Amino acid sequence: MASQGPPPGMGPIMVLNSKTQRSQGRQAQLGNINAARAVADIIRSTLGPRSMLKMLLDPMGGIVITNDGNCILREVDVSHPTAKSMIELSRAQDEEVGDGTTSVIILAGEMLINAEPFVRTNIHPTVIVRGYNYALQEALEICEKLALVVDVNDIDKMKSLVQSCIGTKFSSRWNDTMIDMALKAVLTVSRAIPMPVGSDSYSQKMEVDIKRYAKVEKIPGGEISDCTVLSGVMFNKDVTHSKMRRRIENPRILLLDSPLEYKKGESQTNVEITDEEDWNTLLKMEEEYVENMCMEIIAFKPDIVITEKGVSDLAQHYFAKANITAFRRLRKTDNNRVARATGATIVSRTDEIREEDIGTGCGLFEMRKIGEEYFAFFEECKDPKACTIILRGGSKDVLNEIERNLSDAMQVVRNVVFDPRLLPGGGATEMAVSVGLRKAGLKLEGIQQGPFLAVGEAMEVIPRTLSQNCGVSVIRTVTQLRAKHAAAYEEAEKTGGEDAFPKCNWGIDGTTGKLVDMEEFGIWEPFSVKIQTIKTAVESACMILRIDDIVSGSKKRGH
Amino acid sequence: MSNPASTGLFINGQRETGQDVRVGNVTAALAVANIVKTSLGPVGLDKMLVDDIGDVLITNDGATILKSLEVEHPAARVLVDLANLQDQEVGDGTTSVVIIASELLRRGNDLVKNGIHPTTIISGYRTALKAAVSYIKKEMVVNVSTLGDEHLINAAKTSMSSKIIGKESDFFSKLAVDAVKSVKMNATAADVAGYDAMGSSRSAEAAVVVPNGKQRFKYPLSAIHILKAHGKSSMDSHLIGGGFAINAMRAAQGMPTFVESSEGNTVKIAMLDMNLQRHRMGMGVQVIVKDPAEIERIKKREMDITRERIRKIIDAGANVVLTTKGVDDLCMKYFVEAGIICARRCNREDLKRLAKATGGRVVTTMADMEGNETFDPDCLGGCDSVREVRIGDGEMLYVYGCKGHGASTIVLRGANEYMLDEMDRALHDSLCVVKRMLESNTLVPGGGAAEAALSVYLDDYANTIESREQMVIQEYADALLVIPKTLAVNAAKDASELVAKLRSIHAKGQHSEDEVDAALKFMGLNLIDGTIRDNLVAGVVEPAISKIKSLRFATEAAITILRIDDRITLNDSKGPA
Repeated sequence: MASQGPPPGMGPIMVLNSKTQRSQGRQAQLGNINAARAVADIIRSTLGPRSMLKMLLDPMGGIVITNDGNCILREVDVSHPTAKSMIELSRAQDEEVGDGTTSVIILAGEMLINAEPFVRTNIHPTVIVRGYNYALQEALEICEKLALVVDVNDIDKMKSLVQSCIGTKFSSRWNDTMIDMALKAVLTVSRAIPMPVGSDSYSQKMEVDIKRYAKVEKIPGGEISDCTVLSGVMFNKDVTHSKMRRRIENPRILLLDSPLEYKKGESQTNVEITDEEDWNTLLKMEEEYVENMCMEIIAFKPDIVITEKGVSDLAQHYFAKANITAFRRLRKTDNNRVARATGATIVSRTDEIREEDIGTGCGLFEMRKIGEEYFAFFEECKDPKACTIILRGGSKDVLNEIERNLSDAMQVVRNVVFDPRLLPGGGATEMAVSVGLRKAGLKLEGIQQGPFLAVGEAMEVIPRTLSQNCGVSVIRTVTQLRAKHAAAYEEAEKTGGEDAFPKCNWGIDGTTGKLVDMEEFGIWEPFSVKIQTIKTAVESACMILRIDDIVSGSKKRGH
Repeated sequence: MSNPASTGLFINGQRETGQDVRVGNVTAALAVANIVKTSLGPVGLDKMLVDDIGDVLITNDGATILKSLEVEHPAARVLVDLANLQDQEVGDGTTSVVIIASELLRRGNDLVKNGIHPTTIISGYRTALKAAVSYIKKEMVVNVSTLGDEHLINAAKTSMSSKIIGKESDFFSKLAVDAVKSVKMNATAADVAGYDAMGSSRSAEAAVVVPNGKQRFKYPLSAIHILKAHGKSSMDSHLIGGGFAINAMRAAQGMPTFVESSEGNTVKIAMLDMNLQRHRMGMGVQVIVKDPAEIERIKKREMDITRERIRKIIDAGANVVLTTKGVDDLCMKYFVEAGIICARRCNREDLKRLAKATGGRVVTTMADMEGNETFDPDCLGGCDSVREVRIGDGEMLYVYGCKGHGASTIVLRGANEYMLDEMDRALHDSLCVVKRMLESNTLVPGGGAAEAALSVYLDDYANTIESREQMVIQEYADALLVIPKTLAVNAAKDASELVAKLRSIHAKGQHSEDEVDAALKFMGLNLIDGTIRDNLVAGVVEPAISKIKSLRFATEAAITILRIDDRITLNDSKGPA
């Protein structure tokens, strides 16, 4: 009988859907590594002060010009699953700390590339993973030792910190403006929040909500040096009626989120009119309704009324008569910002307005015309806890890039406000970790030693890429740097015994490619960003290494 | 013979019979087992599954792999369902079930080829299973009367060793044990008594209690809430003991970011399943008024209805209001003024759990029997404090110190979503294992120790059987060795040599009269070094119930598939049936 192979006439037994594709074992692992390498290669050239921009065309014909790692990868359409998972990393990094999106990809890619020889020599992936994890713990310890605590109120130090962060970006020519802006914006929106009892390590003493309260307004035209941070807010709306005042000092501001026009109820109501009189009453009622609301508002003598909904012509008329400036259809988020900047509360029913709801924190209201559009400025606020950042520049694309740079810079400041520890930049931390891992790795027993050392080597990719991007001899620079760090180690061992740890802050000046002491050069990066970068890179590398089978083409889960 | 005409039956479809179908089924089962084989054990690897949209799933969990694969072959589907069953019942050991079942099938098929009737094989397998289960209960089970944390942690570690969080098993096993324990501690007296009763009866007769174990089972796991937020490192995952986190943020920025209890007053949480929007009549309700002034009053009333509701909730003493539906902007102001945290569009399941955790109730309507609207303060849940915490790019509401039944939340952090999903699955397995251990108080050594011992025992047992089943039982004994073998193969060790060594040690232990040698039954594989060690001492342990169940399920599946001798695939019927 048909005991060997598939029975005749039956064909091969199809267990899986015939459309699925599988790649297994070594082939899958090497494929993953290559995909990771490809992703890392895309953005390698955007690291450091000598980085280049990328121009991306989307299918709709729009263009993005950027050197922000996350932004580039978001636009790139990849199909390989591993590459997709790499791209996710930069997103997670962006959300968590907002900076270091390029480094995390390069580092993760390098971790995988360095694992390739081990995979080829049949070292089991779990062994590699274990080695990587030991190395991660060790690396974090080294970083802890290397960290320097900064005083958040020390403006000079903070400036140099932000400088190193956005030094690589397009807007570096206007560095000082950018840095001042980022610092001012973040310090404006930061506020201390009281700590409750029994809070865990996750609670912060500071609240810095850049997303909601530091709004970036991009206005094409003008020069980049015209960019400013307002001590207040601004929005792109004109007054509803041309007769209204366009400049008010110390205005009383009333914020509403209800319409100032007649609105039908939610329930379906029909009125049966049998009388001509009734028709008139109905119309009159509508008018009275609006008038009523306006009178209620006017009773509080505000100078400015802003609502999120519409304002009818009739209401405009009343306001103009009462010398009140009115704005309509403001966005909720903008309204929130105005509320925080001026100290007003948003009111939803006109019959519930109270005196304390009126905002008086604003010093000057003015309508300004920039280009062809009118903008409402609320400036000179007393203690504004929200602000608007105005960006000016030649074209929309330039503005978009500046916005990305600025948001990176603000994130850096925010991270330092949360965790005021710094690590040297310019590849110094990476090299210190690399040398430190080499030292520690040689003492490690077992096959994990190889992967452990590989992590150290992979860390060198950052100084290597930095020197590569600025065009100096890569090998010479990196070896010199390594020697500097190693020498510092020996020095420390001689003087302080076996466990001494040298604070060696030598790194690469990304512009000239020379070796400099980062402490003197003043290039620092936030501790939280660096740590997050290393953690994410190693963990994701481990995840990808553990895969030995890729099945693609299966249907969406749940079928 | 698969031609319908030759069988004399005119079926609109295809028919296969006898050996053909058996071989087909067995091949399919083996193919399924081969897929999950490499994910077994501490050195097993993960699978990456990509669906037609391009979404990626990275996992090591046997049940998840099989669920996501589109298995078309009917016999293979039996195996897949089986893995799911094990996942639901025990939560762990899905991979081993599939592997054992396929091995039993393969051997069963060979026996059929040698002229043994399938029914003999089936009865042989049944006898073997019975003997195996009673042996486990008698000899292998270690009764841990006072279950120390150490054993729980070891069991959790064993279960997660093959998973992505295995490298940080120290950290996560503690997390899992703490989570399960925190749930238990907060259980009411009746529940605790229930646990004890279960524990004692189970250790005596582990398998019998299984049917009524089901209700028990749901309680702790549903109280442990797992939230995923990407960013940070997996080591930054944390447990909020006695707390609850909801993935929602306060609805208006003017609300406080935290409220806490003061002077002994707990923070009151109102959980609503209704709209706090301007009241509107249901669809199709038309209000017809004669007097135009009425319309104005209707409008006003609409707003007032909601305002009165909110007023009632606030008057009842709520400090936090969570609702599954929307909240109007115009209602937000009342909350802001009262200093209340309000969150809208919360997940209903989450709220139900929170209600349980805080001792409150989810309120769906405020109407009472008299037709008035009231808000019963008893519906409010209590806790120590509620605060909004920024995680990654978003915010979450943390509820600390819930006053009701036990509840805990594990917040998982990790590099990206795929990793978080996999961590979630792995942690779920470990939680199941810890819970099983707590309930049953018994454990067996892992790392192939139980299987090797059973194999040796069944081999001897077979010799005492005089009937045809003898051969079958021997095959069953051999089939069990597939577990240590696969473990060794995955670890790239010499499988044959290691398994032979393991068997000989177990044989020595079982045949010797010496007391000292009795401990040899706990010897299992050390897959990192490729040696043999006492796995009980090394802390590689599994809940006994999980082992027994996986044997049962595997045998049942093998029997089900072996019984098939005819397969009829009907064509799609065309036209009206």
